[in-house]
Amino acid sequence: MPFIWQKNKSFIILAILIVLQLVLVSVQIPLGEEGNYFERAVFVVFSPLQHGIVSFAQGIGNVWKSYFSLRKAHVENDELKKELFFLTQENNLLKNALKNYKTEKEIMELLQKLNQNILYARVVGIDASNYHKSVIINKGSLDGITKNMVILDKSGNLVGRIIGPISLKEARVQLITDNECGVSVFTEREKALGILKGDGKGDCKLDYILSTDRDVFEGDSLITSGFDGIFPPGLAVGEIVSISPTEELFKEIKVRPHFEFRHLDQLAVIMVESKDLY
Amino acid sequence: MRQLLEIAIAIILALVLFAAFSYISVYLIQLINVFSLVVIYYATSKDEIHGACLGAVCGLIQDSFSLGVFGVAGIAKTLMGFIAGFVAKRINVVPAMRNFVFIFIMISLELILWASLYSFVYSKGLNTGRGVIFLQPLITALIGTALFPSLRKIIKSMYASRR
Repeated sequence: MPFIWQKNKSFIILAILIVLQLVLVSVQIPLGEEGNYFERAVFVVFSPLQHGIVSFAQGIGNVWKSYFSLRKAHVENDELKKELFFLTQENNLLKNALKNYKTEKEIMELLQKLNQNILYARVVGIDASNYHKSVIINKGSLDGITKNMVILDKSGNLVGRIIGPISLKEARVQLITDNECGVSVFTEREKALGILKGDGKGDCKLDYILSTDRDVFEGDSLITSGFDGIFPPGLAVGEIVSISPTEELFKEIKVRPHFEFRHLDQLAVIMVESKDLY
Repeated sequence: MRQLLEIAIAIILALVLFAAFSYISVYLIQLINVFSLVVIYYATSKDEIHGACLGAVCGLIQDSFSLGVFGVAGIAKTLMGFIAGFVAKRINVVPAMRNFVFIFIMISLELILWASLYSFVYSKGLNTGRGVIFLQPLITALIGTALFPSLRKIIKSMYASRR
């Protein structure tokens, strides 16, 4: 036995490493998006490092901007941007919410609730295998982040939702462009209901619209329906860019999401569940 | 102990570069595979066991930064690290031209392994980033060829000054 070990040591170690990782891979497949403990541990250890590096780079960039170019204007601009950011979020959510509320008292209560439930976040990491699948943000369980919280961009467009793993100061966001992501949506005009799925390449497709359906057109805007129980109703999602004829049961519809990956620096986390929002 | 520290520094350096690249542009992380450069450097300087172990560690770190099945990049990098160490023990890959070809082949091999495993697990093709990913072996090999001689010199002089 020791002779075999001595002679084939490197191959035995390779086999052990591969088998261990194969076990790891096969264990996860039935779990879907739920990461295993080992993955969570690696994420918890290394994501703060990545967060630190990006924050450090952002810090240096901010020092440079603040002290060497337009010092006062930059600070003021940042404040205004932040204010605008919150106002845009609030405005979008209010627009949707007002449809359901009638009395002034109800509106005032809602306004207060919404204001408290928006958290400002920044992207500190992108997906290593496919950047259209997920991003890592600089808010975690210490900030009250939990799974399925909805993420919007600075204009209030739907970006995705929080999924695991969540560490103390970082969390992963599944983008709507991920091919494993599904969102229940309406067309804004005719209220045709479908499921939006990512194509993993930066766009999305609208599934389950019957080939015989005449209510869906190119250029139609899509909004969330709220039927999935995760995304609140009325959020702007994207626009239909093409409808291809098909001989199958459902139409082949391509959707361009409103959020732009290149401008995905500031994000808003909606801190309440969909059912508690309105 | 010293070796472990060296490897830890190399991994942290790769992580710093990875984070910096992702901050600058998404295309940079598709063009330059920094974790693979660390694995190839150590596999060629030490042996296939170091290559395989470091490949597993770097691959799993890379996996932890991506949404999907944890371990896919780990397996690809483990195999690549092992093969790199195994070949480097038998063929001298230090001269510049050979170094370039060697890194190019290793990165291509890793890419093929990773793409095959990815397609097998997801039953889908991967996002090539408008074909950018196909340039990864070339760009990474060029950077590795430019970087490795200086790195070898620095590490050699560090050891020499200790003596």
